[in-house]
Amino acid sequence: MRSPVLLLPAVLSFLAGGCGRSAKPPEPGLRVVSLVPSVTEIVYAVGAEASLVGNTTYCDYPEPARHVYKVGDFMNPDIEKIAALRPDIVFLSLPVHRLIAEKLAEMNVRYYVSQPTTIEGVFSELDSVGCLLGAGDRADSLVRDMRAKLDNLPGYPDTPSVYAEISVVPLMAAGAGSFVSSLIARAGGRNVYTDPAQEYPMVDPEHVVRAAPEVILILHPEADAKEVSERLGWAQIPAVRDSRVYDHLDLNVLSRPGPRVVKAVYMLGDMFHSKPAAGD
Amino acid sequence: MRRGGAWVLLLGLLGVACLVSLAVGPGGLPSRDVLQFRLLRLALGILAGGALSLVGASLQGLLRNPLVDPFTLGVSSGAAFGASVVIALGAATSVVLPVAGFLGALVTILAVYTLARVKGRVTVTGLVLAGVIMSFLFSSLVMLVMVLARQPLGRAVYLLMGYLGVAFTRGSVLLFAGSSIVTLAGCGVLMAYARDLDIMSSSEATAQSLGVDTGRVTKVVFVVSSVIVGLVVSFTGAISFVGLVVPHLVRLTFGPAHRRILPGSFLLGAALLLLADTAARNLVPGGLPLSVVTALIGVPFFVYLLRRKL
Repeated sequence: MRSPVLLLPAVLSFLAGGCGRSAKPPEPGLRVVSLVPSVTEIVYAVGAEASLVGNTTYCDYPEPARHVYKVGDFMNPDIEKIAALRPDIVFLSLPVHRLIAEKLAEMNVRYYVSQPTTIEGVFSELDSVGCLLGAGDRADSLVRDMRAKLDNLPGYPDTPSVYAEISVVPLMAAGAGSFVSSLIARAGGRNVYTDPAQEYPMVDPEHVVRAAPEVILILHPEADAKEVSERLGWAQIPAVRDSRVYDHLDLNVLSRPGPRVVKAVYMLGDMFHSKPAAGD
Repeated sequence: MRRGGAWVLLLGLLGVACLVSLAVGPGGLPSRDVLQFRLLRLALGILAGGALSLVGASLQGLLRNPLVDPFTLGVSSGAAFGASVVIALGAATSVVLPVAGFLGALVTILAVYTLARVKGRVTVTGLVLAGVIMSFLFSSLVMLVMVLARQPLGRAVYLLMGYLGVAFTRGSVLLFAGSSIVTLAGCGVLMAYARDLDIMSSSEATAQSLGVDTGRVTKVVFVVSSVIVGLVVSFTGAISFVGLVVPHLVRLTFGPAHRRILPGSFLLGAALLLLADTAARNLVPGGLPLSVVTALIGVPFFVYLLRRKL
């Protein structure tokens, strides 16, 4: 019986930087289903899309991923559609896909859990997914390339404080425990919500004003810079005063722990330090 | 004279609650920039706590039932459902949202009353059971609608559990001012029915024999209560149990006359909600939904009433 393998951080770091001696090349005709948009992006980035037989309606990047057979949406994939594809490997995310994972275990289908919360985690995941799909070399060079680009980030002289809003009713922020917060840190920003135990804390408007962020990111479609500037008492926030409230951002780039993290970091770096840096 | 003292006490309590609410918050000491937030939050808390308690007192009198309030009758959840539908449709403009809340509240109160009415009689437990059923139904529907519309789950929790930390804009402050006027006017209408409620809270037959148009009073109280709950919930989400506990405490002090119970409930409800909100936002970093605190106070009280009455 094949037991499900969890891509836990320990496993990830062990696998990082090569597939190891125990890795076997994948059998030809490998069938893969991805329920996670960021993993779908990785599958294409390492050139293993020929194996991809199913994904979700959330998997919209790169363009060809839109035309892969859909097993449902990210929240509610259909286990029967997945089973009918006779996959060898299913990529999923917990806790959203807990029931799916249990069913797959019953059916003896291997599944892999994806949830990196840091940029290092994304590199490890690229390596692991690459190895599983027989594209370890592609993954290796991709990671090397991404690391080089991150190393090329200009040395930023300042670290502006950042408030990243993910919902307005109620008011919620991306906390230090969230993936986007690790991108903010890498891009030379300082999240005003520093508790690493909190992924998306509910926040008090008076606290945001007190924290006086120098940059505000609007990471949801319900508000824009204009609405923020009209909020009572917010006009005195440095970010609002200096017109450094950024809206209509590409949320998929900023929220998915996938191959576009470097692009995301450069995007944020440009906003935080105003002077455009050399992007990818 | 004793009664006069009680009024002073009530106003004093509200005053203390206001001061505590203004003094303590996650933004630290009350500086000028923080105070404007706390003043708005204070206004919202007074309006929500006061109006929900006054509605609770009116419904308890009208229905001769000590266990009802906008929350236990499912009316708040109904209003939250109305609000969630327009949020999901992306039509949550400042005018549409409270109207949807009102419609949700009205439909629920009528459904509960119809469900609980068996052979022309409404029993105390029947009404509460019908309320619980509708409350479950609408809570589930709120979740369903929010999930289908891919809304953040936190937003559904807020709708169902209450929260005063609204980020006001200039436009929404005007709307809030307008809603406050309508809500206070609604409270005024209910006050005008204080005498009818006195008579109806003894028995419906007595009321009819004394010339009270019970059908009309019921309709007016239902509609006005729905307007108030719909407006309040569209700003704060559904807040549990304030409307249940407060009227009882007021009745203990002021006796059975609604001309005293109703304003007394408004004052005490406002004070208690401000204190509950101060606890909710300061005890845990990031804040708790308001109903977590109000339920911790309200549920033991509800159990006490249930044991005493049945």
